[in-house]
Amino acid sequence: MSTTEQAALHTGHTSTAAPRNEIRIEDLTVQFPDNKGGEPVVALSNVSLDIRRGEFISLVGPSGCGKTTLLRAIADLQQPTSGRIIVRGLFPREIRMQKKYGIVFQSPVLYDWRTVRRNVCMPMEIMGIPKKQRTATVTEMLELVGLYNFGTKYPHELSGGMQQRVGIARALAVKPEILLMDEPFSALDEFTKEKLQEDLLTIWEKTQKTIVFVTHSISEAVFLSDRVVVLSPHPGRLSAVVDIDLPRPRSLQTKQMPEFYEYVNKIRNSFEGV
Amino acid sequence: MTAGKAGKVLWPLAVGVAFLAVWQLGGIHALLHFKPFQLPVPLTILETVIDNLPKMLSDTWITASGALTGMIIGSLLGFLVAVIATMFPKWGYPGLTLVSLFNAIPIVALSPIMNRWFDDGFGQKVGVVTVVCMATMAINSYRGLNDLRPFTLDLMDSYAAPGSAKFFKLRLPNSLPSIFTALKINIANGLIAAMISEYFASSTAGLGFSIKDNLRKAMMAKGWSCIVMAALVGMLLYSVLTLVERRAVKWHASQNK
Amino acid sequence: MRLKSKKAERAVVWAVWIVAIIALWELGAYTLDAVLHDPMAPAKLPYFHSVVLGLVSYAGQLFSAMLVTYSRALIGFLIGTAVGFFLAILMSLSKTMEDIAFPYLIASQMIPVLGLAPIIFTLVRDMDTSRIVIAAYITFFPVAVNTLSGLKAVDPLKKDLMYSYAAGTPTIYQKLNLPFAAPYLFAGLKIAAPLSVTASILVDMLGSSSGIGVQLMYSLYGGLKDLFWAAVVMCAFMGLISYYIVVALERIFVPWARRKEA
Repeated sequence: MSTTEQAALHTGHTSTAAPRNEIRIEDLTVQFPDNKGGEPVVALSNVSLDIRRGEFISLVGPSGCGKTTLLRAIADLQQPTSGRIIVRGLFPREIRMQKKYGIVFQSPVLYDWRTVRRNVCMPMEIMGIPKKQRTATVTEMLELVGLYNFGTKYPHELSGGMQQRVGIARALAVKPEILLMDEPFSALDEFTKEKLQEDLLTIWEKTQKTIVFVTHSISEAVFLSDRVVVLSPHPGRLSAVVDIDLPRPRSLQTKQMPEFYEYVNKIRNSFEGV
Repeated sequence: MTAGKAGKVLWPLAVGVAFLAVWQLGGIHALLHFKPFQLPVPLTILETVIDNLPKMLSDTWITASGALTGMIIGSLLGFLVAVIATMFPKWGYPGLTLVSLFNAIPIVALSPIMNRWFDDGFGQKVGVVTVVCMATMAINSYRGLNDLRPFTLDLMDSYAAPGSAKFFKLRLPNSLPSIFTALKINIANGLIAAMISEYFASSTAGLGFSIKDNLRKAMMAKGWSCIVMAALVGMLLYSVLTLVERRAVKWHASQNK
Repeated sequence: MRLKSKKAERAVVWAVWIVAIIALWELGAYTLDAVLHDPMAPAKLPYFHSVVLGLVSYAGQLFSAMLVTYSRALIGFLIGTAVGFFLAILMSLSKTMEDIAFPYLIASQMIPVLGLAPIIFTLVRDMDTSRIVIAAYITFFPVAVNTLSGLKAVDPLKKDLMYSYAAGTPTIYQKLNLPFAAPYLFAGLKIAAPLSVTASILVDMLGSSSGIGVQLMYSLYGGLKDLFWAAVVMCAFMGLISYYIVVALERIFVPWARRKEA
């Protein structure tokens, strides 16, 4: 209770300084206890970061750098050991209870026993949205991800790329204000991946949501993001934040630009410096 | 960590002791309106076991030895069926399905049949247990021999491995967890089958016969002590098997707890 | 075309097997009867065709006995399923509950329940009640263990998603855990159904007035060999039928489980 008040106080203080702040991560440390009773594993060490409202931000780094842990901490799926996260002046838990998050994982995580339409419906059912509105939203979302004709199929009848699009439609269906994506395209083939990257940018430009995007692909991060956050492993810590000043809307042509390669190289070099 | 481990032992132990205490003090009788002669209390049962130990042990031996013999023969036969079905998939698989039909014959119907085939109680018991155990082992070990990870057979082919190598280096180790599962099922079912076969058989000894005989004479405590012995044998066999399993299939996920 | 020929080939294999088994059966019975001149031949292994004839001639009698046995097994089966199911949910909700109950669940299987039949009968002093108790006891274990393993196997990411929707525990069970565990529950029911039929037949045999077990005992002691063998075959069929009823129910209620396998 008292921590909630603190959080409110805190934002009252910072809101004047940075009005467009969406997510503020302050000195965040996450440790996992070692199963064999040894030293705890430090997944994230003293990470601080501000994420702006409506921003597309990517977290990149090799495995073990804590990028997924950071995303899960924002989503209130992981409790910090020390430090804290403030989202819109509140704790992640309160934002989660207000149902403002949409999450997409690396695997589509669909419910095998539900059709595509009813999969997209699931979070709305839980949030108690009336049926009529649910039906309309599902149609809208399936059109958005280009799966309108597949609504009555079951997950196993779809390709991997289509399944992932259902996952995205489901995350968007509840009109989340913050979209958290954990390597959503990494299990897909190159062609599907490029298509979905462009689709995601179109959706983002249309809806102006804040997107936190975890990936291990530097070029994917550069292509999509306003800013790329580079994390380095053992222990996971923040090693660089790179602003990506490429023109929008971006397309496949963007990937041919010399600036694109400069950004990719810059980020790659920041790893070698680690 | 250690607190959780202690809880894993202490909680069930406390509940078990409490249950026995309630039983001993007549709580169950009061709850279900049992008369004292219907359900003996734990200490009386224990006393009966100790008083009749030689007879108890010989009855247990008769039942357990029959059950074990049948289990071994049945499991071997079942495994053999599975191996043959694996070697000749086209002809073997329907054969396996037909063998698994034996699983459908209730133990109670098998006993009278075996009674006619074998003159003595031991042979009849072994016959029933063999049939009961064969089907379970055949189905389970066939599954283990054939549910291979994708591409493992291709990999073997790429080494130009002969059929025997595929069997001993890939299929057999792969089937071990399923074989142990089948053995565990067979221990429970084999003991039950042995006891039931004694109800209907020409047997004049054994735990099943003793239960029936003592109940007929309204000697409840003796009947219950036979159940205790059967449960003890079951637990003993099960523990031994679990120990063997732990050594034999260290690599399997089910052993990682 | 190829697919069709493969199907035809499989049918041939099956036909050969069935014909071979019938032929072996007849040959065995013939050897016993006409070659070895065993006086017990019709009791030990009757001719296949005489078993079929027995089935046909006693069909009405056996069928009504079967229904009686089934209906009694069903009550125990349903009670056992309910108990097992709720026990599994309790154990999945509370770790302490699981720690307490699970060792006893395993130990309970070491007590030969069917062997307990006479004891349970003396306790409840009523055929039908003891039948229900035994069938329920046999059913609850596979149901509880399988359902629990289903509830524990729910993909953690799916749980995370539910958590991110701020869903409460009842909602999570209703929308995620229970549908996910349904195929596991059915795996347990498939094991339990034939067992509960066996339990019901056994109680018939211990002294009931109707049911398939009574037919078995009656023919056994009355020396009615044809009826006996017909009843044995019927018993085997009853186990099989109960299994396939559960399979059919699974296809209706858990259609996605089969699709996934395919």
